[in-house]
Amino acid sequence: MDFDWTDEDRAFRERVRDFLARELPADWAEMSRHGPGSKEQTAFSLEFCPKLAAAGLLVPHWPAEWGGSARPAWEHFILGEEMWAAGEPRGAQYMNVNWIGPTLMRFGTDEQKRRYIPPMAAGKAIWCQGFSEPNAGSDLGSLRTRADRDGDDYVINGQKIWTSYAGLAEHCFLLARTGQGNGKAGIAIFLVPMATPGIDVRSIPSLIGHGDIHETFFTDVRVPASARLGQKGEAWSIINYSLANERVGIARYELADRVLGRMVDELTQRGLFDDPVVRMRAGSAAAACDAARILVHRTVDKRSRGEVLGAEASIARVAVADAETVVTDFALDFLPDAFSGPGDLAVQTHHERAIVTGIASGSIEIQLGIIAQRWLGLPREMR
Amino acid sequence: MRFAPNEDQATFLGVLDQMAEGHEAHWRTSPDWSRFDWSAAFDRMLEDNGFLDCAREETLGLVAAAALTHRVARLPVLAECAASSVLRPMVGAELPRPIAVVEGRDDAATRFLTVARSVILIEADGIRTAVLTPNAVAPVDSLFAYPMGRLTPGATDWRAADADPQRVRNAWRAALAAELGGVLKGGLDAVVAYVKDRHQFGRPLGSFQAIQHRLASAAAKIEAAYWLALKAAHSLDPADAMGALGFVQEAATRITNDLHQFMGAMGLTLEHPLHRWTYRARLLRSAMGGAGTHLQGVADTRWRAA
Ligand SMILES: Cc1cc2nc3c(=O)[nH]c(=O)nc-3n(C[C@H](O)[C@H](O)[C@H](O)COP(=O)(O)OP(=O)(O)OC[C@H]3O[C@@H](n4cnc5c(N)ncnc54)[C@H](O)[C@@H]3O)c2cc1C
Repeated sequence: MDFDWTDEDRAFRERVRDFLARELPADWAEMSRHGPGSKEQTAFSLEFCPKLAAAGLLVPHWPAEWGGSARPAWEHFILGEEMWAAGEPRGAQYMNVNWIGPTLMRFGTDEQKRRYIPPMAAGKAIWCQGFSEPNAGSDLGSLRTRADRDGDDYVINGQKIWTSYAGLAEHCFLLARTGQGNGKAGIAIFLVPMATPGIDVRSIPSLIGHGDIHETFFTDVRVPASARLGQKGEAWSIINYSLANERVGIARYELADRVLGRMVDELTQRGLFDDPVVRMRAGSAAAACDAARILVHRTVDKRSRGEVLGAEASIARVAVADAETVVTDFALDFLPDAFSGPGDLAVQTHHERAIVTGIASGSIEIQLGIIAQRWLGLPREMR
Repeated sequence: MRFAPNEDQATFLGVLDQMAEGHEAHWRTSPDWSRFDWSAAFDRMLEDNGFLDCAREETLGLVAAAALTHRVARLPVLAECAASSVLRPMVGAELPRPIAVVEGRDDAATRFLTVARSVILIEADGIRTAVLTPNAVAPVDSLFAYPMGRLTPGATDWRAADADPQRVRNAWRAALAAELGGVLKGGLDAVVAYVKDRHQFGRPLGSFQAIQHRLASAAAKIEAAYWLALKAAHSLDPADAMGALGFVQEAATRITNDLHQFMGAMGLTLEHPLHRWTYRARLLRSAMGGAGTHLQGVADTRWRAA
C-alpha cells in the first residue's frame, strides 16, 4: 500500500495546471459561473477540448486505438480534479471522458465505436444523457419512453426530464423500452442524434445555472436498428456500469476543498480565523474532503487494476455529498456575505453546484440502499 | 498510489485473518460478567508469531501495523496491539509488553495499565518510557471495556526516549484512528448480523430502510476512516494524522449510539458482545484530546503553519 503520488503523477498534474493557466481567458471565472451546459461554456469547450486533445490531455487513459495513450487511470482523475476545480472548462464533454466513451468502448459495435469515439477523443462531441423521466427518477427501471420496432428502424415516443446539456447536445445516450411489461429487462439503450426530426428540447430555469437541465420530448423519432447499444437483455448491466463510473466521475471534493481554502484565507484576513470554533469547523470540513478524496481514489485504484466498480462507488458518492454539505454549511455560517453582490465567484459557483450532489446520478438514499444491500448484505426491502 | 497490499502485506494480513478465526479470538462471556475480556492467550499469539514487529520489516511497514491494529480492534476479545506494533519500534524496541500509553497526565485512569509490563508517556515536550514494577499500578473500576489502572505517584522510574516526539504523536494518532475504525467496524458487523437475523413485524429488522440507511452511513464513514488511518500511518504527516483521528472520533458518537439503538435491549446485556466495541469506542473518542482538538489541529497545520 502506498498513498503517495508518483513523481510522474505530480509532473502530470503540473502539466495540466500549466495548460489551464495558459489557456483559460481572463474572464473565465465569470464565464464559468454560467455552468458547464451554458452557451458560453459549451462554445468555449469546443475550442478548449481540441487543444487539450492536441496536448494529449483529453483522454490520455484511453487506448491508443481510440485516441489515447493508454496512460494510467490516475491521469484521468488528476485531470478531473484540476478541471472541476477550475470550473470545468471541458463543459459537457467531461461526460464523454468519464462514462460515455468508456461505455461505448466496452459495449459498442465496431461501427458505433468508429462513428462516435473519434469525435469525443478530438474534443468535439457534445452528448446528453436521456435517462430520467417525469415518473421515473430514482425508480429508473419504471421508465416509459417506448422504442417500437418498425422494419429496420425503431420509432421512439416519450419524454425525458432533467436532461443536462440537451439544448446544445448533438447526441443522446437514451433509454427506452422495447419489450412489453414494466420490468428492467424490457429496457434498451439507443444512441440518438439530437437533430433527428421529432425531438423537442425545452430548457428548465434552475438554481444551478441556465441551460443546464431540460425537458426532452420524443415524438415518432425514427432511428435505425444500428443505433441500439448492447445485446438484448444487456442494457440494465450496461446502465449500472455507466452509473458507477458517472457517480465518481466528477471530482467535486476538489472544488469543495479549494473553496474551503479560499474561505479560510478570507476569514484569516478579516481576523476571524482565530476563533477556535471556526478552526474546528474548517478542520472538520477539510477532513470530510479528505475522506471523499480517498474513497474516490480507492475506486480509481480498483479501476486501474481492471476491476469493475460496485458498491464502492456509492460509498465514495455518499462521502462526496457529505463533503459538499459540510463545506457549504461552513460558508453559510462563517462567510454569508460571499453569496451576495460580486462576492467570491468560486464560493458562489461551488455553492450553486453543491446542491446537486445528493440528487443527481442516483440520490443519496438510493446510494445508501445500494451500500446496505450490496456492501453490508442486508435483505432487500420488502414492498 | 496503490491501495492494494503488496505480496508480503497480503500474506501477513491473510495469516492474521486465519488467526482471528481461532477460538482464542472468539467471543465468550467472561465468568465474572466483567465488561471486558482481556485475552492473554490471543495477545501472546500476536507476539509469539511476530505480528507486532511488522513495522520493522521494510516490506510491511507502519501501514501494515495500522492495518493489523484495525483488524485486532474488530475482535470481541481484547489484546494490546496499537502501542506494541506502532509505537514500540519508535521509542524502544526492548520495552516488555503489553504496553500502556499514558497521554499527558500520568494520574489519569488509563487502559491496559493493569495488564501492562511497560508504559509510554506522551507529553507535550517529549516521550518517556518505563518498565512497570508490581506496585506501580492500582486497578480502577471503570465503565469502559478495558482493564483500567492508574499509576501510583512516584512509583515509576521514567526514562526519556530517544525519539522525535512529533513523529511519535503522529504515529500514535494514526494508530488510534486505525484502532477506533476497527472497533466501530467490529460493532457494525455484529449489529448487521443481528438485524439480518432478528424479525419484527414479520420481516428482518435489516430490511427496514430507516435502519439500512443509518448502518450504510456508518459503513461509509468507517471505510473512509480505515483508508485515512492507513494513509496517515504511511505519511506520518501531522495533518493526515490529526485528520484521520479527528474524522473517526467525530463519526464515532453517532455510530456508537446507532449501533446500540438497533440492537434494542439485547445490546444492553453482557451476554451479547456489542458493549465490547461500543465501550472501547467511548473511551477512544476522547483519546489525545478528542475530535475538537484534532480537527482544530488540522486547520492549524494546514492554514496557520506559516
Ligand atoms: C443537476 C441535475 C442534473 C441531472 N442531469 C440528468 C441528466 O443529464 N440525465 C438524466 O437522465 N437525469 C438527470 N438528472 C436526474 C437525476 O438522475 C434524478 O434527479 C435522480 O435520479 C432523482 O430522481 P428525482 O429527481 O425524480 O427524485 P425522486 O426519485 O422523486 O426522489 C425524491 C426524493 O425521494 C427520495 N426517494 C426516492 N425513492 C426512494 C426510496 N425508495 N427510498 C427512500 N427515498 C427515496 C430520493 O432520495 C429523493 O430524496 C439530473 C438531476 C439533477 C439534479
